[in-house]
Amino acid sequence: MSSETKSIAISAQGVNKIFNPGSDEEVIALQDIHLEVQAGEFISLIGPSGCGKSTLMRLVGDLIQPSAGELLVNGKAPHRARLDRDYGMVFQAATLYEWRNVSKNVQLPLEIMGYSKTERQKRAQAMLDMVELGAFANHFPWQLSGGMQQRVSIARALAFDPSVLLMDEPFGALDEFTRERMNLELLKIWEQTGKTIIFVTHSIAEAVFLSNRIVVMSPRPGRITEIVSNTLPYPRDFNTRNDAAYHDLVANVRELLREAHGVE
Amino acid sequence: MTDITAEPPTTISRFRHLRVPFLLALTLLALALVLNLLSNLGGLALDDDVLLESTLGRLATWMAHQTGNDPEEIVSPWAIYAENWAKALGAEELDADILYTAMRNMRIAYYGLIVLLLVYTLMAIVVRPRRAPALLFVILLLLNALLFLIPSLEGSNALTMLVFAILAVLAATVLSPGKINRVVGFFLALSFLLVGWEASKAVADSLSYKILLSQQSWIYQTEETMEDALAALSAGTVDYVIADRKDLDDLMPPHPPKGDDTTALPYQGLRYLASLDRSEGVAILPITPAFPGRLSIAVRADAAPDVASVRDVFGGEIATIAGDFADERFLSQPRSLVLLDLKILNDLNLPHLQMIAEAFLQPARRNGELLLLRILTDAGVYTFSEAIFGFVFGAILGFILGSVFAHSRLMERGLLPYVVASQTVPILAIAPMVVIWLGAGQLSVAVIAAYLTFFPVTINTLRGLQSPAAEQVELLRSYAASRWTIMWKLRLPAALPYIFTALKVSATASVVGAIIGELPSGIGDGLGRAILDFSSDYSMVSTPKLWASIVMAATVGILFFVAVNLAERLALRRYVRSSD
Repeated sequence: MSSETKSIAISAQGVNKIFNPGSDEEVIALQDIHLEVQAGEFISLIGPSGCGKSTLMRLVGDLIQPSAGELLVNGKAPHRARLDRDYGMVFQAATLYEWRNVSKNVQLPLEIMGYSKTERQKRAQAMLDMVELGAFANHFPWQLSGGMQQRVSIARALAFDPSVLLMDEPFGALDEFTRERMNLELLKIWEQTGKTIIFVTHSIAEAVFLSNRIVVMSPRPGRITEIVSNTLPYPRDFNTRNDAAYHDLVANVRELLREAHGVE
Repeated sequence: MTDITAEPPTTISRFRHLRVPFLLALTLLALALVLNLLSNLGGLALDDDVLLESTLGRLATWMAHQTGNDPEEIVSPWAIYAENWAKALGAEELDADILYTAMRNMRIAYYGLIVLLLVYTLMAIVVRPRRAPALLFVILLLLNALLFLIPSLEGSNALTMLVFAILAVLAATVLSPGKINRVVGFFLALSFLLVGWEASKAVADSLSYKILLSQQSWIYQTEETMEDALAALSAGTVDYVIADRKDLDDLMPPHPPKGDDTTALPYQGLRYLASLDRSEGVAILPITPAFPGRLSIAVRADAAPDVASVRDVFGGEIATIAGDFADERFLSQPRSLVLLDLKILNDLNLPHLQMIAEAFLQPARRNGELLLLRILTDAGVYTFSEAIFGFVFGAILGFILGSVFAHSRLMERGLLPYVVASQTVPILAIAPMVVIWLGAGQLSVAVIAAYLTFFPVTINTLRGLQSPAAEQVELLRSYAASRWTIMWKLRLPAALPYIFTALKVSATASVVGAIIGELPSGIGDGLGRAILDFSSDYSMVSTPKLWASIVMAATVGILFFVAVNLAERLALRRYVRSSD
């Protein structure tokens, strides 16, 4: 991927986030964050618990506001970007509505955004086909496995064609095999759609396997210790995991995380 | 060496091979009892009490009595049926004997059906054991119905035989193989309850409604006359004289003094105890017979302050007058400690099931035009309509309050305590106020029913609207959804199971509220008035009617609950996990 031709999707300049400022419970969640993400890039945020990786993602998504610094998404303030429906979000829990069937769940954002019924159904079916759940449109969430539910959740996030996909440990609750399969499918979807993806994870292997760049973070206060570029060629597949370069990168990231932890 | 790894047989598996003989024995016992009932029935004269006093016999008497009246006065369908029958026979009035014969034949046919089913069951137990449970279950239901028809009569053991037959079939149903589903489970428990009702009454009756522990009797001496007894007391030969209070009052001053002039009375050295603690017994268990109210105790004046209760007197030197009430009816009686008083099981407090069924199928007043069943059904429908009105009103109010609280922290903090406090005030205290404010009428009743209804709905709406996880809300915010959209698309659907749970509680509460609300409103058409009427006159005549009213009130509440339950299943049919 040549980054020169791409525009900048997300830009953070000196972003700080302090929870409960001025009180006894004051927590510096993020300190002096500088980060630029190219449009169409796949960025992983990795780090130990409390390093602020989820906080950073939520700042980008305008679910919370920064205490200081400048944050731009597609050249706009995050709040503007949210109102423009630039974000698709996927959480660790699939957060599907149990009273809606799979198709209706995928249609939920479309309903809110006022798409017509035929358009909703067309898009939902297309998204479900993309995550290979086309045959399950009329099933209810409780009839699906955890991996399938998470795929529905991804289909829902993509249904209204947002430019940025924010994923907060989406495969954290899945077993190892399902997780590796989901990783492959996510890469396929990313290659098809060219979305910018911010991917929060605990798993070094996952971060290395998926992303263009890996943002390694450290806790107390949350900050970026290193941004590791990943030049492993796409498309990546099962064999990528046997690559020596892959293993070097995993070892490199692990070492950085160990240092980050050692600071404590 | 024994093999210690082998598992010891469980109780059930050890006796499994005995199951079939057991089932056969129980079914045979039931068959013998029902055959006995049937054979007794065949030889009865038409005017035998066993037939006349039964539920159907009494109904037949009333039906026959209704015929021949002014046709415009006949309103009950039962009476119209009898009238048409009389017309078909070309008679002015229907002869009661015709009805008695019909009812006797129906009973014989009914018993015959049970006998056939029992014989079939006996064969099924041996040949097709899988069929036995269903057959036994049907027989159980048929026998249970008889509890409502067969009267408890002096000199007739029909009810006792029926109770034993039901117990045998009940035991056989429980022992027979196969799964117990919801319906069977419900009716097994119901059958157990009904037969337990009659059996406990029978046991209490045989014990004369008391379980007693024999105690030492009173030890006392008798004197010929009052003068002799009081002379002995004055002389110090005895310490107490027990006699009629009326007589003692004419002879000596009371203790404590009453203020009347007693200086003219002959025995100034003696006192009778005017304020005596009559209770005697161990801890909370009383002694029988209790010290009668018409008696009192005479003591020497100086000893009067030391005697406070009958307990102090027992075991002392006591005299009384021979042949007097105190001697014959109290002191000479065997004295016992009452371990258990079973008077709640007597016919006045707990009527036979048949008496309740008969109350339903008899007019409220002697030879009245409508059966109590019809009167109570009408009252039930009336109360139900009030309850529905109150339920809807309360549910809407509760939902609005819950929604407001869910959206405003200030309102929740400020008003929720008052909502909670409102429920600590007894409905009985609120009801008259509502009637004063709104006037006596159905509106007041509905408001009172709503008072009981809105609270569970408020609390559960609040909880339900707040139930979605933070991520669910954030997801909708990421779509730039408005507060209203989040409410409509997420919070409300998520709250539905909570709201329906509250509605089920409220449905039954609204019936209670309506019944209570009818009392101060002076509404005469509902169940509240019926319950009040039948409980104010507590007698053998009206207690079964009170029970009949209770059954009707319960039926209304249950029907309302079932209706809301069905609505819930319909509304939450997609919420497969939460609706079960």
